[in-house]
Amino acid sequence: LYVPTIVVKKEDNRHLLFALSLQVTHYKQYPPNTSKVYSYFECREKRTDPSKSRKVKYDKTVFYGLQYILNKYLKGKVVTPEKIQEAKEVYREHFQDDVFNEKGWTYILEKYNGHLPIEIKAVPEGSVIPRGNVLFTVESTDPECYWLTNWVETILVQIWYPITVATNSREQKKILAKYLMETAGNLEGLAYKLHDFGYRGVSSQETAGIGASAHLVNFKGTDTVAGIGVIKKYYGTKDPVPGFSVPAAEHSTITAWGKDHEKDAFEHIIKQFPNVPVSIVSDSYDIYNACEKIWGEDLRSLIVARSADAPLVIRPDSGNPLDTVLKVLEILGKKFPPLENSKGYKVLPPYIRVIQGDGVDINTLQEIVEGMKKHRWSIENIAFGSGGALLQKLTRDLLNCSFKCSYVVTNGLGVNVFKDPVADPNKRSKKGRLSLHRTASGNFVTLEEGKGDLGGDQLHTVFQNGKIVKTYTFDEVRDNAQLTESDY
Amino acid sequence: MAAQEFNFLLATDSYKITHYKQYPPNISNIYSYFECRRKKGSQFSEVVFFGLQYLLKKYLLGQVVTEEKIQEAKVFYQMHFKQAVFDEESWRKILEKHDGRLPIRIKAIPEGTIIPRGNVLFTVENTDPEFYWLTNYIETMLLQMWYPITVATISREFKKILAKHLKATSGSLEGLDLKLHDFGYRGVSSQESAALGGAAHLVNFCSTDTVAGLLMAQRYYSCPMAGFSIPAAEHSTIISWGRSREKEAFERVLEQFPSGPVSVVSDSYDIFNACKNIWGDKLKERVMERSQDSCLVIRPDSGDPAETLIEVIKILEECFGCSLNVMGYKVLPSYLRIIQGDGIDLSSVDEILQKLADEGWSAENVVFGCGSALLQKLNRDTLNCAFKCSYVESNGKGMDVYKQPVTDPSKGSKRGRLSLRRNSDGFLETIEKGAGKPEEDLLVTVFENGSLVLDYSLEEIRKNARLRDEE
Repeated sequence: LYVPTIVVKKEDNRHLLFALSLQVTHYKQYPPNTSKVYSYFECREKRTDPSKSRKVKYDKTVFYGLQYILNKYLKGKVVTPEKIQEAKEVYREHFQDDVFNEKGWTYILEKYNGHLPIEIKAVPEGSVIPRGNVLFTVESTDPECYWLTNWVETILVQIWYPITVATNSREQKKILAKYLMETAGNLEGLAYKLHDFGYRGVSSQETAGIGASAHLVNFKGTDTVAGIGVIKKYYGTKDPVPGFSVPAAEHSTITAWGKDHEKDAFEHIIKQFPNVPVSIVSDSYDIYNACEKIWGEDLRSLIVARSADAPLVIRPDSGNPLDTVLKVLEILGKKFPPLENSKGYKVLPPYIRVIQGDGVDINTLQEIVEGMKKHRWSIENIAFGSGGALLQKLTRDLLNCSFKCSYVVTNGLGVNVFKDPVADPNKRSKKGRLSLHRTASGNFVTLEEGKGDLGGDQLHTVFQNGKIVKTYTFDEVRDNAQLTESDY
Repeated sequence: MAAQEFNFLLATDSYKITHYKQYPPNISNIYSYFECRRKKGSQFSEVVFFGLQYLLKKYLLGQVVTEEKIQEAKVFYQMHFKQAVFDEESWRKILEKHDGRLPIRIKAIPEGTIIPRGNVLFTVENTDPEFYWLTNYIETMLLQMWYPITVATISREFKKILAKHLKATSGSLEGLDLKLHDFGYRGVSSQESAALGGAAHLVNFCSTDTVAGLLMAQRYYSCPMAGFSIPAAEHSTIISWGRSREKEAFERVLEQFPSGPVSVVSDSYDIFNACKNIWGDKLKERVMERSQDSCLVIRPDSGDPAETLIEVIKILEECFGCSLNVMGYKVLPSYLRIIQGDGIDLSSVDEILQKLADEGWSAENVVFGCGSALLQKLNRDTLNCAFKCSYVESNGKGMDVYKQPVTDPSKGSKRGRLSLRRNSDGFLETIEKGAGKPEEDLLVTVFENGSLVLDYSLEEIRKNARLRDEE
C-alpha cells in the first residue's frame, strides 16, 4: 500500500489549502476566455419564512470581521514555491488525480510575488445595514486570474460569523437599553449588562477570539480573553484594553470547601476582594437557602459594608432563568430592602446585585427583563452573562449570509449573471456590478447592473492586489455600530 | 511542540485568574473530570470520544510558560481587571521548577471509543501540590472538547441512518463511508473549527470538501490522506456562462473531467428543466458515455429536499431508465447518481431515504452533502458537556466534592476520584469515590508533566469508532 510522504511544514494557517476542495477544480469550468469574475456578499432578505416564525427579525446587520480575515489570511505574500508544492501533493492524493491549477498559482507567484491580484470593496466596518444589500464585492484584477475570485469565497464567507455575533449581540443591547430606559430613566451601565461567558462553549480558540471581539463591538464586559487579543492585533483601540472583567467564583472554588462549608467559602471569597465588584455563584446546593440564610443572614454585615463600586453580585446558575431571577430578587428584597427609583421601580441597595449567566439567549433575555418590569424591578439590579447563545448557537442561515457571482467578462464582453432557482425565490442573487447608496431619506439601497457608476458608492476599496488599503480602528467600528435613540 | 505565539496564560476565562485566592487554605490537589452528562429525552445516548490529542499537541505540550508570556499576561490582566490580581509568582515557579511545562496529569479513554452518556471521559489533576489551581485553569480550553466530540458523534449518527437504509434497500454497506460529504467549511465559525470539525467527521467517513480537516488529521493524527473529493461545479461556474447557456456550462464540466466522478449543481434556474431537457435530452448521450467510475452526480440545491429529490429521480428514471437490485429496489444506471447537499440534517436524511424507499428507490442512488448541521449547528448543550471538580486534598486529607443544585438535579456532578470499567455485562460504567480497582480502569494516562504519553492514529480511532453490527 503506497503511503505518500507528504511533508507538511510548520503550522501556517496561510496556505493555499483554505479553499473548498471543489473550488480547486473551478478554473477549468468557467467559460473559455473569461477574464474577470466579480462576486459579492450579502445577508439575504428572507421574504417568506415557512417553518419557524422567529420572534427576532434581524432586519439590519452589523458589518464586522473583514479586516481580521484580510490581515490574517489574504494580505502580502500568500504563495510560495513550497506552498504550491504542498498543495499539489495534497490535492493529488485528495482527488486521486492531477486537477490542481499549478500553472495559475505559479503565475501569481512570479508576476505578483505571491500577492493576490484581487480587489475587495466593502462597507465601513461597524456599519449597520438593512438585509438584502451588498456588503462587499470581490473581483479579480488580472485576466489570467479570473478563477481567484471564487477561490477565496470559502474564507470570505466565514465573515458570516463575526457579522452574526455582532448583530445578535447588538439586538440584545437594544432590548436591554429599552428596558433600562423604561425602568431606570437612563442607560448607565448598559455597556456591562451582557457579559461574554462563551470561551468554553465555542468550537475552537480561533472562534473564541473572533466571536468575543464581535461582542465587544457592542459591550465592554467579557471573560473571553481571546477577543481582546484579536482586537489589539487586527483593529486597535485608543484605550489600553477594550474589555473588562471582575473577580468571580466558580463552582469548584465553592465546592472544594465541602458541602457543609459553603458559608466559609462565601466569606473567604468576599473578603479576598473588598474593593471591587465580586461575583459569587450561589447555587452549588441550594440557591434560595444561600440567598436567604447565608447572604441574607449569616454574612449580611459583610455585604452591607461594601461600597456601591464594589457590590456583591450573586450568581444563580440553574433552574428556569426567569423564575429563578424573580425568586432570588424577592428573597434579597426581603433581606436587603430596596428603594424606589425616579421611575417607580425597585432597586436593591447599591452593595448587592444579581447576575444571571445560565440559559441566557435573546429570547430568554427578553422574557427576564419583561418579567422583572412586571414585578416592578428595575433593570439596574441585574446583569446578564451569555455563553453558547452569544458565541456558538448561531449559523450562517440566521442572517442568510451568501457570496455569489454577479458579473463576468468573457471574450471582452461584460455579462450580468445570477442564479434564480425555480423552487426558492429567496435564493435569487443580484445581477451585475453592484454599489451601495444612501437615499435622500437616509436609507440604504443597492444598485445592480452597474447602475451606480455615477458615484456615491458607500463601498470603499479595502484590499488591492495583496495590500490592505483602508483600515478601521475598533473605536470607529464601535462608533458606527452605536445604538440610536430609535433603536430603543 | 505547543504553538509558540500562543500565550497559554491568556487562554482561559478571566475569572479563573482570581481563583487561586478562593480555594480553601492548604489545598494541595484538585482533581476534575469531563463528561457528557445524561439528559432525559436526549436523542443521543452515546458519544464518540475524539479531539483531545489535538489540544494536547497544539496547546499543552512542552514549554508553555516563558518570561515574556508572564509579562504579557501581567500587563494585560492589570488593565483588564483594573487591579493587580494575576498570580505572577506561581507562573514563574512553574517556569523555574518545571521549565515552563505543565505539572498536570490527564487520563482519558482511548480516542474513538464509543461510550454511553454520563460516564467520565477524562480526568485532570495537578502533579505538584504547589499548583493546585492549574487543574481548573485549563478547564476553559479542555471543555472545548465538546466540539470534536459532538461533531464525531453526530457524524456517526448520520452513519447509522445511512447504514440502515443502505442495508435495507441494497443488501450491502458498500460505499457507506462516502455517503456523507462534508460541505461545512464556509458555514463554520473559523478556520481552526473547520479543521477540527472536518477531522472529526473523518473519523466516520472518507468524503470531504473541508480541506483543513485533512491537514489536521495529517499533523495531529498521523493520517497522510484522510478524505477524498471529486471535481464539482458551483453556481458561479454555471451562471457565468449566462442564462441561455446552461447546457454549454454543463457540457464543459463533463469535457474537462472525463475520467472520475463529477458533480454538477443543476438548480441555478430550474432543476427540473435541467434534468429533463439538458441532462435527459440535449446532453443525454454525453451522460450515457460515462462509466460507473466517472459517473455524473447531479446536485439539486433548493426547494424541499425530499420532494425535489423524488421529482428529480422520477425525471431521471423517465429519461435514462433504471434497473432492479437484489433487494428489488430501483437503481439508476451506474453512470448517473444524485447528491443532495442542501437542507440536510439527521431528520431530513432519514426522511428522504425513507421516502425514496417507499417509492421503490435504493439508497445507492443518492449521496448527501452536509454543511452547518455537521459542523456548526451544535453546541455544548447538545451533549451536555461539563467539566467539574470532584475531589480535593487539603491538609493532607482527601475529600469528595460535588455540586448538587436543588434547582436542577441533572446538573449534579460526580464525586471523588473516578475510574471507568467494563462491567460483567460488557457495559461501560463509571466508579466514583475512588472505589474503582486500578487494574480495571480503562482511563489511561495520555499527558503528564508536559509530555504526551500516548499517540493515537486516525486509523486506530476509526477502528474504535466503527459501527457495530446491531447499528
